[in-house]
Formats: sequence, structure tokens, C-alpha cells
Amino acid sequence: MTTTMLAPTDLKGAHEALADTKGTVSIRGAGTAEGWAGAPLPTAAVLDTTRLTGVLTYNPSDMTVSVRAGTPLAELQRELAANGQRLAFDAARVARGATVGGLVATADSGPLALAYGSLRDLVIGATVVLADGTMARTGGHVIKNVAGYDLAKLLHGSYGGFALLAEIVLRLHPVPGASRTVALDCALDAAAERAATVLGSALEPVCLEWADGTLLIRLEGTSEGTEDRSRELAELVGGAVLGDDAGAAAWKRHAELVGRAAVRVGCRPSRLAGLLGRFGDTAVAGLGTGIGTTSLPLDEVGAVHDAVTTEGGMSVTRRRPPDGVRAWGRPPSAIRLLTAVKKELDPLGRLSPGRFESWFAELDDKEGTP
Amino acid sequence: MLNAAVRDALASAVGPRNVLSDPVQLRSYECDGLTGFRQVPSLVLLPLDTESVAAAVRVCHEHEIPFVARGAGTGLSGGAMPVADGIVISLQRLRQVLEVDPVDRRAVLQPGVTNLDITRAAAPHGLYYAPDPSSQQVCTIGGNVAENSGGAHCLKYGFTTNHVLSMRVVLPDGEVVTLGGDTGEQLGPDLRGVFIGSEGTLGIVCEITVRLLRVPQTVRTLLADFPSVRAAGEVVSDLVAAGIVPAAVEMMDNLAIQAAEKAVGAGYTLDTPAALVVELDGPASECGSQFEQVKQICDRHGCTRLHIAGDTGERAKIWMGRKAAFAAVGRISPDYIVQDGVVPRTRLAEVLGRIEDMGTAAGLRVANVFHAGDGNLHPLVLFDEDAGELERAEELSKDIAELCVELGGSLSGEHGIGTDKACSMPRMFGVDDLATMDRVRSAFDARKLCNPGKLLPTPRLCGERPGRYRPHPLEEAGVIERL
Ligand SMILES: Cc1cc2nc3c(=O)[nH]c(=O)nc-3n(C[C@H](O)[C@H](O)[C@H](O)COP(=O)(O)OP(=O)(O)OC[C@H]3O[C@@H](n4cnc5c(N)ncnc54)[C@H](O)[C@@H]3O)c2cc1C
Repeated sequence: MTTTMLAPTDLKGAHEALADTKGTVSIRGAGTAEGWAGAPLPTAAVLDTTRLTGVLTYNPSDMTVSVRAGTPLAELQRELAANGQRLAFDAARVARGATVGGLVATADSGPLALAYGSLRDLVIGATVVLADGTMARTGGHVIKNVAGYDLAKLLHGSYGGFALLAEIVLRLHPVPGASRTVALDCALDAAAERAATVLGSALEPVCLEWADGTLLIRLEGTSEGTEDRSRELAELVGGAVLGDDAGAAAWKRHAELVGRAAVRVGCRPSRLAGLLGRFGDTAVAGLGTGIGTTSLPLDEVGAVHDAVTTEGGMSVTRRRPPDGVRAWGRPPSAIRLLTAVKKELDPLGRLSPGRFESWFAELDDKEGTP
Repeated sequence: MLNAAVRDALASAVGPRNVLSDPVQLRSYECDGLTGFRQVPSLVLLPLDTESVAAAVRVCHEHEIPFVARGAGTGLSGGAMPVADGIVISLQRLRQVLEVDPVDRRAVLQPGVTNLDITRAAAPHGLYYAPDPSSQQVCTIGGNVAENSGGAHCLKYGFTTNHVLSMRVVLPDGEVVTLGGDTGEQLGPDLRGVFIGSEGTLGIVCEITVRLLRVPQTVRTLLADFPSVRAAGEVVSDLVAAGIVPAAVEMMDNLAIQAAEKAVGAGYTLDTPAALVVELDGPASECGSQFEQVKQICDRHGCTRLHIAGDTGERAKIWMGRKAAFAAVGRISPDYIVQDGVVPRTRLAEVLGRIEDMGTAAGLRVANVFHAGDGNLHPLVLFDEDAGELERAEELSKDIAELCVELGGSLSGEHGIGTDKACSMPRMFGVDDLATMDRVRSAFDARKLCNPGKLLPTPRLCGERPGRYRPHPLEEAGVIERL
């Protein structure tokens, strides 16, 4: 079977790519999460979003921007930075060229999620294309808006299986005047204790992460205020205030560790250290968010799934496990509902089959004729 | 109509003592805060636990009885208005705070807990629940979830959707599921995010886990007068441009100030054309320097009086004036309608000017008191029903909401679409947008029993229904066909 390549450059092209074709389609961005979650099944066509790029509207005074979904976030951030603004989002793979749409579709997030949430909290509107080519808009260009269902949320974490994100509207924040990181070398359980102290203080950290042996805490704000608070923070945890270069290097290492992870897990923050500690491998722990990653041999992933399930948390692989090992931990409780939504939006099961493994089993094999 | 068998089934689902059927009692459920729309329900259920809610919904599903969930009934878009021949499921008796976890900073709540009671329960731990609708003393967290409610402090802290981690939801067929999880990241598509703000049309939320925040170290509040609404609007733009994210920026125009002063005497200047309330919060070292910047920006735009709250008492007084403004409008006008449109913040001055012109043209006064920081207007159209002004007021009110859409904004920032603005939805969304929303609704509620007729336009309300083709009853009966 030869695979058709579809590479739209705008919304109209994206509409045609789905409306004028039949058969299964994998949606693909920069490919930085290709190995995450369930393995994509072979499809009749691949819809590549990497030419679906560019800023559509940017009015800095409104602090919102709309972009085509294939725009690499790193590129967008450079453009925003020229106006003293940013998308307050820092998932590790942004540096590797991840697209805005791909980051939304994989529900990725980084250390800043402690203060700003994930993209679900920063996306204020979207235009999506359904499997039948229907173009639908949700949300808008204003930061406060409750008109209609928030369909952008539905696509957060949808792995290309529910619709194509074609255009995305984002809420922006000012680049803070200053940023300081306090670091402390310590074991995970000690880090968890320190984290609780920091969260109980009035210091308002924006990131609080343990990265394989080092607790990293970032503060942001005005230059004077941040200097004062970072000294106070260093004293409180017994750590050191890092200079700009050392701070940047520490966060770069953090991102690299996350990039090498085998599994992503999430649970109540206070339980994360205990959970990750059980596996003893290289780990990164968001001690305020409850989200962490660990790299362990892929055939041991099943044990992580089981442990996380016992804690009531979530887990999903970030590298492809060998046959017979599940990519997703337990499926969500609302699986029947999710299947109903999938059926309404993609009744033939055209889009990105495989990414959710057997969640939508009843839809599998419906399509397939190229 | 409900036959005796269905009544019995519903009574046994929730317990006979938790059913209201007396016409006088039913009448108190006929509308929400939007009192112009009324419909007496056939029955009101007051279940005592999630299982009874699910059991009642299963009966409705089986017998195709429409049902409407109801919290405190403070909604302003007719969302909790009953539907004809349907029942109301009130969550008012489910009002327990099930858990406050100071370590992981979260609380687990039943849906009837009031917004303010969450913060009351969290306060002993130095924590609070951030979204703060002005109605927080009475409105319920279930209603807040349904409307994705906001409040003055949502500019910095976000709306209900940014603070709910997970929910136990009774789906429209009676299945009980969990949406969301222990962290912001969840498994697969974010159904929690779709449910929040769905205005009671996708199910009934019976248990909610929310994030709690640490009470900020310092709060600084100022009240500034300006020679014009435009000048005050420019201050808002400049604050944003300066990279300051205040906890709240609220604006009142002269009519709103007069009304509030008459009601509570909070010390606002009676003859100022406009006033801003600006509040900063956070670590003391951060607030101090930013507060200076705010004062400078106010001065640059011709601020005529700057009052800085010296203590918590003075701050509470400033907020009392702001929060009283809504209800206080009743003192300067026999009747009023509240609108809730949003515009991009850069268009605030423009939209206020146009609203003023539209008011003049309609011969009606419009008072403005609103969340300026996020461009969420609350124009209050003042009128006298006895003088036959209702229709004109409704027209003006609708035109204002639609003007917001025209300027790149939204029909509603926090009150929801409900019954009130459903017919304006086609102004904001195209046929395919609405049809897609309807497909999602069908996935949740195939039988269309859960708060039907709200949020999306319907033929009964607005004439032609946009969306996928639906056979006319006469077509189904084989009497007519469309070719
Ligand atoms: C004076 C005043 C000031 C206000 N200020 C604000 C403000 O600042 N910000 C703001 O956002 N709103 C404000 N509102 C509007 C209103 O208070 C909010 O929309 C609030 O969230 C409604 O809560 P409720 O419990 O009264 O819900 P109701 O009015 O009872 O119901 C609202 C909607 O929620 C649904 N619903 C209720 N409970 C549930 C449940 N458990 N599961 C599923 N659906 C449910 C209903 O079906 C209905 O569609 C104000 C209202 C008034 C009267």
C-alpha cells in the first residue's frame, strides 16, 4: 500500500485534505511525539502539518495570538519575545521543534504548568477540521468567553484521533522582568519535603521540579522582588541561587532528562515522590504539579502502569514499548462516553488509528479501504 | 406529562420525602435569576446523594422525561429554567464539603456547596478557592462548573475550568463517570474541559475536586477617578502593555457609581465620570514596585482622585461598592437587564462609546460596571416595564451583545448562553460550528433530555434550527417529503 502525503498550507487546504479523500489518515506534526502513546497504525494517507504554519493575527496590546497549528512553538516564542510577551508554556520538546498543534494534541506540559497550567488553560479558541472535512470554530479571540462548548479542550490530548487542529488562538503573558533559579542537590524524598515547605511559604514559585538528584525552584517577577525572594528561598531550603548561565544549564538538563523518559505519570503531588522512588531509575518529578517522568527499561513499563493505577493516577509511555506491553495505563472511566464522542466526530474511524490502542475497538476496521 | 408510574419511579429513586409536587412549591422553581423567562416544572426532586441522582436520571432516560439540574438558581441566562413537562433536579441538599486536603491543596465538594463555603472551609489552612463570582455567597459550585463562572479576580487566576481537577458526573443516561484526574494532565481528550461551561446540558455534576491556592502575602487595592470612561479604558490598556497582571481591574461609570453610593455609601466620588478599582496581590516585594507603576499610569491619564486602601476594612469598603453596584441599579431604575458581552481589551473605549450612542438612540440609560481587565462588559440597560419600555430594552440589550461579537469578542464572558442568548449564537458561530457542537451534545445525550432548548438555538425559540438535517414530524409520518 502506498501512502498518500497530504501537506496543506492553510485552512482551505486542510479542509480539502480531509473532505476530498477517503480512507484512514494519520495526522503528523514535527514528529517529536511519534513514539508516545499507542503506535500509529499504517494509514492510507498521512496529513503532515509542518507546512500549515504562520501567525494569522497578533495584536500585542490584546495579548492574544492566532497561529496555524503546524507552527513550531519555538519560532512563535521568538516572535512574541520581540514584543516582551510569551506563551507561558515550556514543554521539554519545544526546543526540538514541536508544533503548537502537536503540543495541544498530546496534552504536553513543562515545569511552568505549576503556575500557568497546560495548553488547555492557554488555548482560547481553535478552528478544527473533522474527519468529513467539516470546519468548525470554537472559542474566540478574547480571554474570557463562555459561549458554546469548548471544543478546543476536547482536542487537548486527542492525539490526532478526534479532529485536525488547523488554527489555534492563544492567550499570552508578559515576559517577566526577572527569573531566578534556586538549586539544591538532594535525594527525591528530601526534595519532596523541601517542596512542601516551599509551597507552604509565600514565595510563589513558578516551577518546582526534582531532576535526577537536583531540586530546582524557579521564581519570576520584578528584578528587585525576585532577587529578594530568591535569597529568602535559598535560605529556606538550604540551596544556592544560580547565576543566569547555571540556571539555564540546569533547566536544559531537566528538559533533556524529560526527553529521554520512557513513561509519563501523574498522581496527587504528595504521592509522586513515593511512586517514582519505587522504580529507582532516572526520574524527573514535578513536586507541585504531581506530574513526572521516569526512564526505565521498556519491558518494565507494565509495573509502572500497575503502581500508578493503584494510586489512582495516570500513565502513558513516551517511548514505544515492545509488543505485549501497553502504552496506556488504565483507560479513563468515561471510555464509553469518549467512544460516543469519537463516533459522532469520526464515525468511520479515519483519524490516527492506533494512538489509543484498543480504547475504540468497536470503531476499528470500519474504515481501512484506501 | 408525567404519569403516575413515572412519578412513583422518580419518588423511589430519590425517596418520597425528597419530592416536591405542590403547585405553590413548584412555583418557586419556575425561573432563575433571569426572571423574564418562566416555566413551572412538573416535579422537583431534591436527591440526597449521587446514587439517587443517577437513579432519577435513569428513570428520565427510560421514560424520555426532560430534566434540568439546578443549584441556587442565581444564573443570569435562564439556564436553570425548567422545561415544559420536565422535572427539576435540585442539588441544594448535597452541600457537604467532603474533604479539604491542605497538603495537596485541594477540596472535594458536593455540588450544592456555595462558592464562598469552599473558601470558608479552606481558610483555616491559609488556603482559598480563587474564582469569585459576585454571587458567591449563594451560588453553588455545581452551578459554577456548569457556567464556567468567573469573577473579579479571574483576570490573574483564571476561571472555574482552570481550578477544577476532576468531577463525578451523572451522564444523561444515568451512567456515573469520573472526568479529569488528580493532576492537570489526564488520559486522552479533556472531557472535563468540555463539560465545564456546558450549562447543564451534558449531565449533572455530583462531586467536584477543586484546586486551592495559598492566600497571597499582600494585597494592595486602589480606587481611581477619571475624567472620562475613555481615560479609564486607556489605563487598562497601558497596564496590560506594561506587563502588569493585576489580580483585578474593575470599572464603573457614573450611573453605576451613583447607584452603588446610594445603596451602600462606600466612599466613591459621586460626580466622577468613571472610576477604576485596581488590585494587586502576591509577595510583598513584588506588589510594592508594581503598585507604584499602576499609580504612575493612572496619573498619566488624568486621574482626578486616587484613594489607596489603608487597611483590610478600607479594601472591603471599596469592594462593597463594586459588588453592590448590580443590585443597586434597582434603586435608580424600576427594571434593568444585565448583558455580559466581551470585547478585546483594546476596543473597550470604542465599545463603551457605541453603547452610549445606542442607548441615546433607544431613549434608554445604560449603566456600566464590569471586569475591565478581561474586557468583560456588564452593561445594565435601565427601563420601566410599566412605561412599556421592556421590548425596547430587550432589543437594545441584544444589540449590545451582538455588537461585542462584531468587534471580535463574545456574546458572554461568564453568565452563559442559556435560554437568553441561544438565538444570538448564529451571530457568533456558523452553521457548521453549531452543528459540530450539536454532535458533541448528541454523544453525551442522544435523547436530548438534559436541559434541552438551552445553549444551542432551537426552532421553537428562534425559528430554523441550524445543524444537521432532522426530519420534520410530518416527514417521519410519511405525510411530506423534501427532495
Ligand atoms: C447578583 C448576581 C451576581 C452575579 N455575579 C456573577 C459573577 O461575578 N460571575 C459569574 O460568573 N456569574 C455571576 N452571576 C451568575 C450566577 O451566579 C452564576 O452563573 C452561578 O454559577 C450560578 O450558580 P447557581 O448555583 O445559582 O446555578 P443555577 O442558576 O441554579 O444554574 C445555572 C446552570 O447550571 C446548571 N446546573 C446547576 N447545578 C448543576 C449541576 N450540579 N450539574 C450540572 N448542571 C448544573 C443549571 O442547569 C443551569 O443551566 C451572578 C448572578 C447574580 C444574581
